[in-house]
Amino acid sequence: MSENKILFNTGSLDEISEEMAKLASKEESRLELSPENADSGLAKLVLTIVELIRKLVEKQAMRRVDGGSLTEEEIERLGETLMKLEMKMEELKKHFNLTDRDLNINLGPLGNLM
Amino acid sequence: MEMMIYSIVSVKKNTKKLDALLAGIKGLSNTDLYVVTLDEIAAVVSDVNRADLIVDKSSAIEYAGVIETLAQQFTLLPVRYGSVMESTDTTKKMLERNYNEIQCNLLKVENKVEYGLKVFCDSEKLKTELKDKSETEPAIELEQGIEKSIYSKYLYKKLKEHRFEESLLAHIDAIIQNITTHLAQLNSIHRFKKMVTETTIIDVVILLKKNEKEGLIQAVKELQIQYTGLKFVLTGQWPPYNFVDITIK
Repeated sequence: MSENKILFNTGSLDEISEEMAKLASKEESRLELSPENADSGLAKLVLTIVELIRKLVEKQAMRRVDGGSLTEEEIERLGETLMKLEMKMEELKKHFNLTDRDLNINLGPLGNLM
Repeated sequence: MEMMIYSIVSVKKNTKKLDALLAGIKGLSNTDLYVVTLDEIAAVVSDVNRADLIVDKSSAIEYAGVIETLAQQFTLLPVRYGSVMESTDTTKKMLERNYNEIQCNLLKVENKVEYGLKVFCDSEKLKTELKDKSETEPAIELEQGIEKSIYSKYLYKKLKEHRFEESLLAHIDAIIQNITTHLAQLNSIHRFKKMVTETTIIDVVILLKKNEKEGLIQAVKELQIQYTGLKFVLTGQWPPYNFVDITIK
């Protein structure tokens, strides 16, 4: 971006460049499937969807806890379930050599999945 | 011969001014620019051989430069980089098929330009500020005195994180609401994405009348004074890249 296009900015040009680079790298985080990486690409896709569902379940659970309608026993069971789900997810990520950053997909105009 | 389309320009049945401008600028690979006209609109094109076309960053910048030069004098719809038509005839037919939609879009962007506003935050600093604030509020009830299992402790830790995340989002939503209210006062059309990255809390594109540039700059300055912890970056003027809603038939 040429300097004369910047109408207002309180930071330095380096700072803007840094932020723009972050935005560009976000745009690049699309799912790439090809014959060469079909296995890892598919694992990434499946785990991304699993992680999305796990997070939705977790959020819903937090809303129920926050609502104060759960008994101590239910809280105990919910805590155990969520903890085991998270541990299993960590195990799978490690197995397929994926990080949290990998488990996100850029859906173009819709933005990021998570 | 195939032709690359740069933009569709509102010429109001008079192409003389456009022809004069095109005589002074060149298209990709130093090609001549000319127009394919239909009634009040004209497609600015240059001849291209698809096999020789090099698609890279410098070529895209060159392409954007042509649109930028045209946009300084005309109301136009920018066409996506790399759009190639087979001939003058197919270009004319395309203009015919889409004439009404093109005119509608040209009317929407007439005498207007696009601006970009990005608001960055120091996410760690923002989180610390909110954490400090939340710690002064009543803590989560943990039924003190009762020995908790690791599962309950895990759940309450998650609940604390969830509440923090909710308060962070509410804080950001309030900032976004304030920014969009300021923009609405300028009678602008705007579209935004929030939390594009951890540090970009809002990325807005704004369509505004050409003569209202100073008002926009002033509004952004006021917002910056209000939110000293955030960084506002306003760019423009751009051709209306984000305000063309048309699917070419």
